Amino acid sequence: MTISDQKVNKIDALLRACRLMLRMSKARPEPRKSEVLYYHMLADYYTRLLSAREEGKFVAAHTVFFPSEILYAMDIVPMHTETTSWMTALFLGQYADLLAAGAELGMKSEICSPHRGLAGAFNIGALPRPNVILWSNMVCDNTAKSGELLMRITGCPGFFLDHPFQYTEDEVNYFVGELDDMVRFLEEHSGRKMDWDKLSSIVAEMDRQIELLRQINKLRQAVPSPFHPQGFLELLTIDYLFAGQPEATEYLETLRQELAEAVRAGKGAVPQERFRLMTLFLPPMYLIGFLERISQEYGAVSVTEPFFCSWGEGRLDSSKPLESVARKSYMLPEMRMYGPLDDRALSEIVDSARQFKIDGAIYYADVGCRHTCATIRLFKDVLDRLDIPVLTLDCDVVDPTVTSEEEIRDKLERFFELLEDRKLS
Amino acid sequence: MKALGLDIGTLTTKAVVLDDGNVLASAIIMSADMAESSARSAAEKALSQAGLSFDGNLHVVATGAGGKSVPFSQQHKAITTCLARGIYNLFPSVRMVIDLGAESMTVIKVNERGRLSDWGNQDKCAAGTGVFLQQVAKIMQMPLEQMAQLSLAGRPRADISNTCAVFAESEVISHIHRVPPTPKEEIIAGIYLSMVYRIVALCKRIGAERDVSVTGGVALNRGLVGILEEELGFKVLVPDAPQMVAALGAAILAKETVEKGPK
Repeated sequence: MTISDQKVNKIDALLRACRLMLRMSKARPEPRKSEVLYYHMLADYYTRLLSAREEGKFVAAHTVFFPSEILYAMDIVPMHTETTSWMTALFLGQYADLLAAGAELGMKSEICSPHRGLAGAFNIGALPRPNVILWSNMVCDNTAKSGELLMRITGCPGFFLDHPFQYTEDEVNYFVGELDDMVRFLEEHSGRKMDWDKLSSIVAEMDRQIELLRQINKLRQAVPSPFHPQGFLELLTIDYLFAGQPEATEYLETLRQELAEAVRAGKGAVPQERFRLMTLFLPPMYLIGFLERISQEYGAVSVTEPFFCSWGEGRLDSSKPLESVARKSYMLPEMRMYGPLDDRALSEIVDSARQFKIDGAIYYADVGCRHTCATIRLFKDVLDRLDIPVLTLDCDVVDPTVTSEEEIRDKLERFFELLEDRKLS
Repeated sequence: MKALGLDIGTLTTKAVVLDDGNVLASAIIMSADMAESSARSAAEKALSQAGLSFDGNLHVVATGAGGKSVPFSQQHKAITTCLARGIYNLFPSVRMVIDLGAESMTVIKVNERGRLSDWGNQDKCAAGTGVFLQQVAKIMQMPLEQMAQLSLAGRPRADISNTCAVFAESEVISHIHRVPPTPKEEIIAGIYLSMVYRIVALCKRIGAERDVSVTGGVALNRGLVGILEEELGFKVLVPDAPQMVAALGAAILAKETVEKGPK
């Protein structure tokens, strides 16, 4: 018997956690309507996934930054693998067994922890077996290999969506060809036809959502910041899980209205805003509750997250749905910040720092993500030139053995002290 | 009102009493199990040297590993902030401090106004800390002072490649038991060099800038500081009492608070 012989269905547990969070958000003295909608959507997402098999639905597991618009247009149930692993760490705090199961597959601790955990999760049946595995090198190079492994573990057929790094017309055309191939692959395996009209509607909805995300970003420039300290996690989850879905539009419209009202009233998300922060990359999900508390305690708010909230310019054209999906991939904040690192990405960091009037930046240096860690020095240097201090926190997005809450508290307190000292001097 | 700065470290506790910017007295004692009793003993020792006693006419700032556990202090400050204040008082030209404590290795950057501007610390491994050196001294069966002296003649320096304190100990033992054994001075110099590599890497991580000062108990080790200077390519500044710099900084912060008066 191996460590991972005891099978636990994480989706079922996640669904219960989402429902609990929904109940709690409704029970607040002054419930935030957008938060209630958010947990509703999460609960619905995992309900659909849990009941997919019984309902005879076709399930596609896909890696991060994947164009799920295609899946929705084909009435295929998506399972976002990385987000599901983050949710497991965030809501359940139960990631150790998945990492242990990944280790049983021979995956070393230096490998990206969500991917280690995912492989482990599929191997022990903690995540349901999908009908197909879809993966891409969009943004994250790790997934190129990780998807292959998931295909081998699950025994499912798979499709690798090759995304070019550079943004030229030739490369957009190449990616449209890739998307077209993927549609054919899905049609063949699911027996469903692509509904092009539906895809057009989804693209139109997505265009509206990108516009809303830009407006929300603009509102967050206000002093004090109207959005709660770790609120950006909701924004990125919305795009990861509900791209082009009407409920996402409803959430974003509601949030925009809430933020606009808060800005008009001069109401900040924390009682006394002292430090406006730029967040670089992802904080440890298992410490989100703690980070929220310490943010409130010190009046520290993440006001900008260029990796996740700086959407590129341009509009999506619903009359060219596949091309629009391809163009959207280049508008993604992650693609623009992790992709080809040129002066544009660096100048965006500088612009964000100025527009959002930040006092400091925190770089969550995920030890397993070499891709992002390679940018630490570059980003630190450009912020240094603006005399903005950067705290580099070595951590892991889901693996709690890398760093403890106490260690993070100590470093954050030192950093806040540094920021305070600079203000006083 | 007098200002008292306390640095409660894992191995020693330091106290500095200030009056009008002048150091009236200082004390260093071995840390006890309880941070509070260590802090009280060090404070009493320093205060009695200054002819003072605990009373309401004292503003206390505590720092260090046990800094948060001192109920009689009015403020707790991070060691990094205190080091910046302390070193600026001693050497205003210093822009980088390498603090080598019993269980920590911290590098800080100080701006031209004596304020902390950045820092980095090695907190995942004990290699490069005072406690590691004590362990090595046990294996080498000689006091730290003798080790430092011997290392000056250590050429070539033994190759200690491990970046883990425990595994580095195994390497040292294997050097001792080689036939013929590696000369002790070469082993010690090799240990210091391996520590220096880590220190220099940390300096580079946050951007090395001159002047550089070395503080903390390990700064008293002439052998290690010599190798550090070789690797950096320039001389470093070592205060007369390098272990006292954070306590001095805490005292300066206490004095600043006193001068500002109640809010």
